Amino acid sequence: MVRGFTIALSFLVSTLAAGPVFGQAASESNVVTATVNIAPLAKLNLSALSLTFPDTNPDTTPQVAAASGPLTITARARATPASTVTLTIRALDDLRSGTDVIPASAVSWTASGNGFVDGTLSAAADRAVGSWPTSGLHSGQQIFLFQNSWSWATGNYTVTLVYTLTAP
Amino acid sequence: MNAPPSRLIGGGWRLALSGLAAWAALGGVATAQTRVTLRVNPTSITFPTADPDVAPVVTAPALDIRYQVRNNGGQGWRITVLASGDLNAGVSVIDIGNISWTATPTPPFQAGTLSKTLEQTVASGFGNVQQPQMGTLLLQLNNLWSYSIGVYTQNIVFTLSAP
Repeated sequence: MVRGFTIALSFLVSTLAAGPVFGQAASESNVVTATVNIAPLAKLNLSALSLTFPDTNPDTTPQVAAASGPLTITARARATPASTVTLTIRALDDLRSGTDVIPASAVSWTASGNGFVDGTLSAAADRAVGSWPTSGLHSGQQIFLFQNSWSWATGNYTVTLVYTLTAP
Repeated sequence: MNAPPSRLIGGGWRLALSGLAAWAALGGVATAQTRVTLRVNPTSITFPTADPDVAPVVTAPALDIRYQVRNNGGQGWRITVLASGDLNAGVSVIDIGNISWTATPTPPFQAGTLSKTLEQTVASGFGNVQQPQMGTLLLQLNNLWSYSIGVYTQNIVFTLSAP
């Protein structure tokens, strides 16, 4: 009786003195693979879809600005690495009013905004509006100017302009 | 049975002392190995392709995180995540910091942003989690126009550690 009591007591004392110790560090890891597919994409936004040059005296206004003011262009593109995103403009024809013609080159523009360049319209070839070495959102403005001249026959001249944004 | 009571008591102390000696030899502690279990599913996720103007942030399929912590006493546990690098597609790179997450339930889970240099806490608590518990993570990618075309991948490592 007495011996059994003593052994039990000694075990209890030992346990209380040391105590159960938790916290041997444990860890487990899992790996997850994340994939992102970036596909080709290009979007072009123009602040206006028509331009009108007012009729003015060529002596007082040899260069006529478009009545609607600057044209704001926003070009968004995702391209392959190390490629160049380009924006071009092309007149589908010269300005025409019936049988009367004003060459497309009578219209030029000055540009502002990173990557945008000044230029002159052509009915024969694409003209650069802007270029960028990387994907991204590029915004700028064109101020169109019409070369006013006494030699133009009276009439209401029109031409269609095509902008092309290319992201290779 | 006929021995004097004093002698019986003395023998008992000898046993006790020998027990203590053995205890000390083992390090004097009763160690319970902490056990942790972590299961993250699925093990691969793909962010959807989307127009950045329409979806400036894209969300990957949900990650289910099951975890269990035992024999941890009252000590802390933590689930962390560390990216093995930025998202890579050949020479093209998307900074891994463009991926963040929201999580439920909160707590123990919390929102955060991936890092390739510092482990970020996904969930934390104290003590044991005797029964397996589950949380859900939604990883979100900032969908920017500046990304180059490509298929980007990277491993992200979830770790449950205790204490």
